[in-house]
Amino acid sequence: MKLSAHYNKAIIIITVFVLLAGGVIYFYTINKLGRNQLDRDLTEEFEEVVDYVNLNNKLPAQVDFDEDQTVFIKTSQLNFPLRFFDTVYNNPKEKKPEAGRAVSGLISLKGQHYKVFITESRESTEDLVQLIGIITLILMVVLLLVLFVTNRYILNGLWKPFYETLNKLKSFNISDNQGFPLKHDKVDEFNDLNQVFHSMSSRAKNDYRHLKQFTENASHEMMTPLAVITAKLDTLIQDETLKPEQFDQINDIYASASKLSRLNQSLLLLVKIENNLVNDAELLSLDGLISQKIRQFHELILTKDIQASEYLGEKNVTASKYLIDILLNNLFSNAIRHNINHGQLIITLTENKLVFQNTGVEKPLNDERLFERFQKGQKSEGTGLGLTIVKNICNLYHWEITYHHGDLFHTFQINF
Amino acid sequence: MKKPLKLLIIEDEKGLRDNITNYFNDDGNICESCDSLSTAIDKLSIYDYDCVLLDIGLPDGEGFAVLDYIKEKSKNEAVLIISAKNSLDDKLKGLNLGADDYLTKPFHLAELKARVAAIYRRKTFNSIKNLVFNEISINLMGRSVEVNHIPVTLTRKEYDMLLYFIANKGKVISKNAIAEHLWGDEMDMHDNFDFIYTHIKNLRKKLLDAKANDYLKSIYGIGYKFIAQ
Repeated sequence: MKLSAHYNKAIIIITVFVLLAGGVIYFYTINKLGRNQLDRDLTEEFEEVVDYVNLNNKLPAQVDFDEDQTVFIKTSQLNFPLRFFDTVYNNPKEKKPEAGRAVSGLISLKGQHYKVFITESRESTEDLVQLIGIITLILMVVLLLVLFVTNRYILNGLWKPFYETLNKLKSFNISDNQGFPLKHDKVDEFNDLNQVFHSMSSRAKNDYRHLKQFTENASHEMMTPLAVITAKLDTLIQDETLKPEQFDQINDIYASASKLSRLNQSLLLLVKIENNLVNDAELLSLDGLISQKIRQFHELILTKDIQASEYLGEKNVTASKYLIDILLNNLFSNAIRHNINHGQLIITLTENKLVFQNTGVEKPLNDERLFERFQKGQKSEGTGLGLTIVKNICNLYHWEITYHHGDLFHTFQINF
Repeated sequence: MKKPLKLLIIEDEKGLRDNITNYFNDDGNICESCDSLSTAIDKLSIYDYDCVLLDIGLPDGEGFAVLDYIKEKSKNEAVLIISAKNSLDDKLKGLNLGADDYLTKPFHLAELKARVAAIYRRKTFNSIKNLVFNEISINLMGRSVEVNHIPVTLTRKEYDMLLYFIANKGKVISKNAIAEHLWGDEMDMHDNFDFIYTHIKNLRKKLLDAKANDYLKSIYGIGYKFIAQ
């Protein structure tokens, strides 16, 4: 829910509540005032009746008292206190019952006691209360309407810079060289916000740039000694007086140096992927790339006499060619290296998945740790980073990679 | 038979610089070397070279400045960048600034030499159309090979390998280096060199069948040598 909606909700609830409470208080107060006024009128009427009786020594005719209805009833009661009560008033003109207020009291005429009932219409008071109710209601509607319009136009206008900032943040890309533009606004809070985002984004960009530099420097620092080792070995083997055992030793150093170099490249690649440093995405034909890789790995496949079959549907992906190349290399190397002689390799590509199935060791791999760094088979000569890289590339493009084992096949599946 | 190359090696790591210099000098080339940007510019301002081997990360600045200098002075050196940075940006930047090739550390000296030979051939393509080594003649344009004027059909890999061996004639080349040259390091071929053996066997057989001398010699366990005579 948007901020303005929250605000509207709170305002509406408070307004309705206050106006309702006000209405109730109005209603009771006006009612009370009206009733007091009526009671005072009735007391006056009653006193007039008493005066009349005392003066004329007879009961007044009932029509003498306009609008009011007076009734005399003989009684033998001696004690009947003056009291006010609500009753029904029969309007003689309109012939219908209305709400009324009455007073009853005792008068005595020539030794005879009479109960007196004077009833007056309460209609006018009721009307007043109704009027007040209607006015309150209209006020409530108008107030809500005004608040609504105010919120809609003024509040939205006020918050506009906030949404602009938010949109800029949404499109913020750390690898862009473009900075976060600092815009001046008339609201202090938004200025603060922009200021904070500005400094935060430039700090993040700075850190990011440093990280990139560090990545490259680390590569430089480690690759140069490796280049020295390789060059020294290349020179050393020119000496043909060396014995076969010494060549064996040199071979091992070659292997280690080349492994170290691959390891270093892989680690740097992982850093690059994890920090989203590779962003040269383009539209690629995955089926075309896979066919190309099959040709590239053809000799390796032949060496192990692996029976390879592929079922490639058309599939285009938007990704970095460099990363897809590495992804396919790793999947192919993996499927061939861990394959058995005369084994099988099945590659299936459809619109929503890419599946590599290969024969290999009979028991399934530990699928929980398979994609973790430096988890590798006991006999594997690899760096232990190949599948981690595969997984990270998949993560980067929001693809899901799964592994399962069954029917003699190890299956790696990428769901696009 | 062949004009010696004049090379300038700009590399701040002494161990590497010395080995590169020796490797090229053995073949009768003339190598000079320096370890910083300023000395490199000094040398380039005085002498002309056939080829410059340029390290990007130098103590007094980035090697790209050398490329700028060569371009600015309209000099004719072929430039091969040897960089520890395997980043696409750097590669593109270097090539855009006029470098002829880009080699990432660590590399094999044999690979370096083959690359230098290739870019030198490219630079002088108009004057040299055939690479001749004794009875073997390689038509660089048509990528075809003749032995004693009789055509020999080679596969792409065998042809690449022959060029590679001739560029490094008289040198022992490790199997690692051959594998990386033919398949690239991304293919992860480390533990299996059988297919190199197959390719070399085929190449040797084709050359022998065409009555060429037996140049390819296996050096126990470590690699092969293309004999220089």
